[in-house]
Amino acid sequence: MSVAQGDAAVMENPRGSGFRSELQRAGRVMVAARWPVFAVVFLTIAAIAAVFGGWLAPFDPNRQNLVLRLADPMTAGPDGGVFLLGSDALGRDVFSRLLYGARVSLTVGFAAIAVGGTIGIIAGLLSGYFGGWIDDVIMRLGDIQLAFPFILLAIMFLVVLGSGVWNLILVLGIGQWVTYARIVRADTLSLREKEFVEAARAMGDSTPSIIFRTILPNILAPLTVIASFNVASVILSEAALSFLGLGVPPEVPTWGSMLAESRDTLVANKWWLAVFPGVAIMLTVLSFNILGDWLRDFLDPRLRERT
Amino acid sequence: MKRCTSPFRTIVAVCLGAALLGGCTQQSDDTIVVGLSADITTFEPGMISSRDNANIARHIFGSLFTLGPDGEHIPELAHTLEISEDGTGYTYTLNEGLTCHDGEPLTAEDVAYAFNRIADPANRFTGNSPGFVYTSIGFQSAEALDELRVRINIAQKNPIAFGLITELYVHCKDAYEQMSLDEAAANPIGSGAYRLASWTRGSEVVLEKVREPANFERIVWRIIPEASTRTAELIAGNVDIIANVVPEQVEAINSSGRAEVQIVSGTRRMYVGFNLSEEHAAMPGGDAIQDPAVRRALQYAVDVPTICRQLLSVECERATGLVNLENANPNLAPYPYDPQVAERLLDEAGWPRGDDGTRFSIRMQAGQGRYVNDVNVVLAIVQYLEDVGLDIDLELMEWASVYTPLLRERSTGPLFFLGTGGGLWSPIYDMTDIAQVGSGTNYTHWSDPRWFDRWSDMVNTDDMDEQRAIIDEMLEVFYEDGPWLHLYFQPDFYGVSNRIAWTARRDEHVEIFEASLR
Repeated sequence: MSVAQGDAAVMENPRGSGFRSELQRAGRVMVAARWPVFAVVFLTIAAIAAVFGGWLAPFDPNRQNLVLRLADPMTAGPDGGVFLLGSDALGRDVFSRLLYGARVSLTVGFAAIAVGGTIGIIAGLLSGYFGGWIDDVIMRLGDIQLAFPFILLAIMFLVVLGSGVWNLILVLGIGQWVTYARIVRADTLSLREKEFVEAARAMGDSTPSIIFRTILPNILAPLTVIASFNVASVILSEAALSFLGLGVPPEVPTWGSMLAESRDTLVANKWWLAVFPGVAIMLTVLSFNILGDWLRDFLDPRLRERT
Repeated sequence: MKRCTSPFRTIVAVCLGAALLGGCTQQSDDTIVVGLSADITTFEPGMISSRDNANIARHIFGSLFTLGPDGEHIPELAHTLEISEDGTGYTYTLNEGLTCHDGEPLTAEDVAYAFNRIADPANRFTGNSPGFVYTSIGFQSAEALDELRVRINIAQKNPIAFGLITELYVHCKDAYEQMSLDEAAANPIGSGAYRLASWTRGSEVVLEKVREPANFERIVWRIIPEASTRTAELIAGNVDIIANVVPEQVEAINSSGRAEVQIVSGTRRMYVGFNLSEEHAAMPGGDAIQDPAVRRALQYAVDVPTICRQLLSVECERATGLVNLENANPNLAPYPYDPQVAERLLDEAGWPRGDDGTRFSIRMQAGQGRYVNDVNVVLAIVQYLEDVGLDIDLELMEWASVYTPLLRERSTGPLFFLGTGGGLWSPIYDMTDIAQVGSGTNYTHWSDPRWFDRWSDMVNTDDMDEQRAIIDEMLEVFYEDGPWLHLYFQPDFYGVSNRIAWTARRDEHVEIFEASLR
């Protein structure tokens, strides 16, 4: 598989001047492509909002103010503050909730990928390296899971486990493992026959060492590309589940739950309740997709000359 | 250039959306469509408990007498009633020529069978009839005296027994003897003006006309949990009547030119219940609310008039107890909103704020989608309680399949949000929710002897002044040390299509017999 071979080439010399020159090349290519720069800028802003939301938010995101409910954007709020993006049906500041929502949405996105990726990588490595009945069992489990619509599976799990951030991460993570397992298995099947793996075996390396220290570093690059796309889909799934009331508890603001709360007021032309979280979700998903797209091209050796 | 007005944009948006699903349509003249917010769980007469469920069942099952909007007595399957001298025997005489939906004649034997079947402990029914009506009147038995006369025996004289018996559903012996309980829950054989034509769970119930009074050949009850969807369907002309219009959407409906919202001052008592059972006393915070002083303190913590004004779009007077204001104790003033008093009383009760500012943690449970703006009301109440130092663990649940079963088991809580239907025709009717410690509707397990010991005095006296004095005394106990955090009487918002003539009732009865085309 050409991507894997290219990745292997990149990863074989991951540090030192070669690594620095790769970074410089990445910067040049990104600036030339333009859109990935916008994606990085937006995601950086979202990350800052997620990390420093507590300091940046002008109001407590859960603080209600019933007499100032459904205030238009730029309306004066309590204590001399301003509702920059308006207030919701309970008089909570939409801007502050948006900042806190970034934390939950991005945390769920990255943590779910970490959970799903870890399970998938281990399963894929074992499946690809050992083959036989281990391969059969793991791949059939994956097939069974893929036979169910993911959102239905997630609803079933959340109904049993109950809602909550960690349960949401677990469910969304488990929903992703098959993708990683299949890619890792395919690459492992190829790599285990390579000379450098044979060499490690001949030198007496243990099986875990061969799997995790020799094979795994050479398949991380394509996984990075997949993960960048997956973060976007996980954030969308979180939004969908929160919209259905199965995401996080009602007092925890997320972009999806903010969208859900806007349903009753949308008919009454309170547009800001749906537009701002909707745009935040759209831009985040778009940014991850642009970044993933660029990363795929950047790491593809066939496109190296062009880039 | 003339700009589109907001309502116009709303209509266009709604119709565009509806066009994708089926367009802005007009129902046929022999069909009326009603949009409900909560799902229907059963047609078993002994298990029906929610108002939406009862509203549909009311069209399938007849009752001996009914109560009109103002509490007037209206004969239905029976035309006369005789009450024995000791007040424990109610003998009804049925109309001649009645039939069941399966074609069998409806006789006194059917009525007696139906009422005894509901009481049969082997059936383990927990609906409104056994859980509320029977425990309240002390139902003993029903017997057919002859083909048309049926006698209902109750444990003791009860001034509101007549009104409560109107809530019992008459169903037919031959049909129900042949069905299992599961079959009976899905295949009602009644004696009402309509029969069940089809039931798609979670989606719709279709009734077909059997006899008069019925202005429409078909009634379609559609389950539409999402408020905006109900509104959009009403404006698009796909639904004729919707319940639980969200206050924010009233203007959009009224300005659509296709429907109008009727707002009535309802009789449903909304409250936060304190579950005082032993099981809940062992939970975090459950021990705190056992103390009446804590419960009283929390009454001052919630700003009910602001909740009404902001979240329900109406001005309301806060409840002083479980009786509608028209029949309440006039000497009781609603608790004012005074968080400082609440904090002082909680300190005095032995629950000071800890280092983290919290007095105690407690779980609060609530269903969602059943009452007007219920989620926002619950979130507002949680905020108010947290402001005086409580740490609330809120659990919002799906109404029909999760919250209702917990209610049936009386296991919601330790704090729970609920509304319970009331009436204006007697204060005792409203008080009957807590007629006995074990009543199916005493979700709080409250057992104060100052209330329950006076119950028999209240129902047995013939002196109306004395009865009123006892009622006021009991209501004062409930006000001071009762198991409810008093909220408000729910205003009801119905959206009604312009093609339909129908007037909403205060008691939440949606009776389509009274609806007609304009």
